[in-house]
Amino acid sequence: MSRAGSLRGYILIRIALMVPMVWVLLTVVFLMMRVAPGDPISATLGGKLSPADLDERREALGFDRSLFVQYLEYLWDAVRFQFGTTITDGQTIGSILVENGGATLTLTVAALVFALVVGLPLGLIAGRYRETLPDAAIRIFAILGYAAPPFFIGLLAQLLFAKNLDWLPASKMASPIVQAQAETYTHILIIDLAIDGNWDGVWDVVKHLILPAVTLGLLVMGVFIRLVRVNVGQALGGDYVEAARARGVPERRVVSRHAFRNALVPVVTVMGLQVALLLGGAVLTEQTFSWPGLGTRLLQYLNSRDYIGVQGLITVFALVVVVISLLIDIINALIDPRVRY
Amino acid sequence: MRAHRMAVLGCTALLAVAACGGSDDDGGGGENAPSGGGGNADTYVLGTTDKVVALDPVGAYDLASQQLIGNIYQNLLSVPAGGNTPEPDAAESCDWSDDKTYVCKLKPDLKFSSGDPLTAEDVKFSLERMLKIADPTGPYTLLGSLDSVEATDPQTVTMKLKKVDATWPFILTHNVAAIVPDEIYSDSEKQPDDKIVGSGPYKLDKYTPNQQAVFSANPEYNGPNKPQTPKVLVQYFEQASALKLAIEQGDVDVAYRSLSPTDIEALRNSNAGVKVVDGEGTEIRYAVFNVKKKPVDNVAVRQAIAQIVDRQAIVDSIYKGTATPLYSTVPSAFPGAKESFKDKYGDPDPAKAKQLLDDAGVQTPVELDAWYTPTHYGPVEVDLWNELKRQLEGSGLFKINLDSTEWDQYKEEAFDKGTYYFYGLGWFPDFPDADNYLTPFMRDGGFFVNGYSNEEVNKALDAELASQDSGEREEQFGIVQDIQAEDVPVLPLWEGKQVAAVREGVEGVEKTFDPAFQFRFWLVTKKES
Repeated sequence: MSRAGSLRGYILIRIALMVPMVWVLLTVVFLMMRVAPGDPISATLGGKLSPADLDERREALGFDRSLFVQYLEYLWDAVRFQFGTTITDGQTIGSILVENGGATLTLTVAALVFALVVGLPLGLIAGRYRETLPDAAIRIFAILGYAAPPFFIGLLAQLLFAKNLDWLPASKMASPIVQAQAETYTHILIIDLAIDGNWDGVWDVVKHLILPAVTLGLLVMGVFIRLVRVNVGQALGGDYVEAARARGVPERRVVSRHAFRNALVPVVTVMGLQVALLLGGAVLTEQTFSWPGLGTRLLQYLNSRDYIGVQGLITVFALVVVVISLLIDIINALIDPRVRY
Repeated sequence: MRAHRMAVLGCTALLAVAACGGSDDDGGGGENAPSGGGGNADTYVLGTTDKVVALDPVGAYDLASQQLIGNIYQNLLSVPAGGNTPEPDAAESCDWSDDKTYVCKLKPDLKFSSGDPLTAEDVKFSLERMLKIADPTGPYTLLGSLDSVEATDPQTVTMKLKKVDATWPFILTHNVAAIVPDEIYSDSEKQPDDKIVGSGPYKLDKYTPNQQAVFSANPEYNGPNKPQTPKVLVQYFEQASALKLAIEQGDVDVAYRSLSPTDIEALRNSNAGVKVVDGEGTEIRYAVFNVKKKPVDNVAVRQAIAQIVDRQAIVDSIYKGTATPLYSTVPSAFPGAKESFKDKYGDPDPAKAKQLLDDAGVQTPVELDAWYTPTHYGPVEVDLWNELKRQLEGSGLFKINLDSTEWDQYKEEAFDKGTYYFYGLGWFPDFPDADNYLTPFMRDGGFFVNGYSNEEVNKALDAELASQDSGEREEQFGIVQDIQAEDVPVLPLWEGKQVAAVREGVEGVEKTFDPAFQFRFWLVTKKES
């Protein structure tokens, strides 16, 4: 088989494997939502209407049918990318993606940028000065960043930077007036404001973005620090580094040019894998900061037992992670032919 | 080297951005930050943690939606600020032509914000559409009494009822009877939230679900409730803690629903340029007894509990001035409310409670399983039930096993399966009438199916529903409340005040706090800062 043919086969197999992955996930989400007590009608009207009235409304929504029938219908809708309209606020999954996806994208990109900008240099320093005091301090910082729950870090950040120091806004994506005045072009507020040339508005969004982005970024930063540290450490012990040193290359150049660059290769791969971590962290971060993203909506629908909302958003989250994993596998396969076999 | 330098530069830039935020005062941050409306008296910002279900009345049976709907649409009748009885709104006059026919004459020259005229046909369309769509999340069941509605002429609406129903004028104030334009709304589908048209004081300019609603004064509105502030922004928050910080920082001008009692107390005592205003509310909290289950099937046990509970201590220690004691399920603001439990039991007295139990031959201490849910009525519920346990056990007459479950399981166990026999619930009114605080609880087991049924209660409720005389109705309400105190199928605990935190310079919020439970945007003003 030719090299190109082998790659195509690999990609096709990976795409084919996505189907059972997504199916298992859809099934698990469906079952978990149905097995847990409660439904959207009783969650919103349960303290108001009699059991008979509630049953009448459940019937109107088809919740009285057998689970199997509901499951088949759900799968059939999912295959056609029709996830329906949420029961508790009448939104389609498509409109939720449009209204809230931009906020999640803004937050996750900013968090990723923060994690890279802070995590890479710190990882480099820790790797270069292994087993010294700075290394120990950076490692502790990395572990804390990774281990501390975003909602905890978020609350502390709000308390310190918003409440006590009054430097930054505590929540939301923009001041009310800025949000109200913004025209909608891309549904990404910061870009819409930039298109309008409203730089005060852009600055307002940046200020609102700092605390949630740093909170979420700390989570991923911990991963980057640990990864770069280990790789820099290994690279510094490599033959080519010894050879560079033997040639009289200055130490700073050895570290930055030879060790650090090689240590970055696995970071590119891991960065893709962090999407799942970022999306999971985004749910908690968005809730803490009232950030109007998809994670906030997912929690809202979970709390109100809105099957449609939860199923639709989980499917979207899963597809994003699965597609990005696929892209990384393809990139890996292109870079390293051994992966294909 | 270059990468390293760039990383350091990046870090420095980010920290600089954060530090700059401290000195900037043009928006959300800064000690001297202007209020949420940007210091502009033309606009105020209302912050809330409520979640809107729908802005089309057919899908809205929740408080958050009703708060917006009450400002966008008109009803034939509404409860004016500070009042507690329905008065003409879109109608010029309404009256009974016989005991089952209610006729309303519309005011002339009413228009929707679209410019379309509001006629009797629109009223007929709105009521019939509500019943036809029968949205599962909507309030259509409140129109159960309606037999038919006719537009007798362009200005006259005639509603025929299936049975005599004195609550009908009150129901007409609910969003179940909000008037929508038949030229624009479909009679079979819900109107999308971003295409809402009404004839109320405000019109909806922009709506981003769960983020923001932007309102401006409706130029076509010619009723008495003229907006005093041209623009209102409603900002939705996920967390009460974020809402509290937003009012402190000046990002919002009014924080309304739902700050915790502790937050309210902190804001009362803060000097952040915020004041706390409150007024009458109609939210209540009560306990339910399943009277078919031991040991509370014995009325003496229920009476003994009623004799011990110290409501004043509960509201003082837990609700910190945001609630007052409730001595029947009807809040004090309603005509016909009676403090029947206070009349019967007086001050809390464990000795009298012991006497009640002794007389009934009940062995003490009585062991009781009590249940509450921390996920529907907020985290303070746990404090309420621990205080009840403390009071009951403090008498030496009861041993309380307190437990809690998530709301979804809670309802199932309490109503559907009837597992719980002593548990907590809360209530907001559908419409501002005492009937809405008695019929749902006292007639044949109530909506929670607690096994209680009393012929005398049913007769009194029938009588008040059949009477259009307010004095007669109040008398019947009194009878039911007295029986409630005697039989104790439910135990009223407290009624909540409506509370908001407002920035200095914001006026009028307290005027909208009355039994109608409607935040009237048009009453609030803001001084230029």
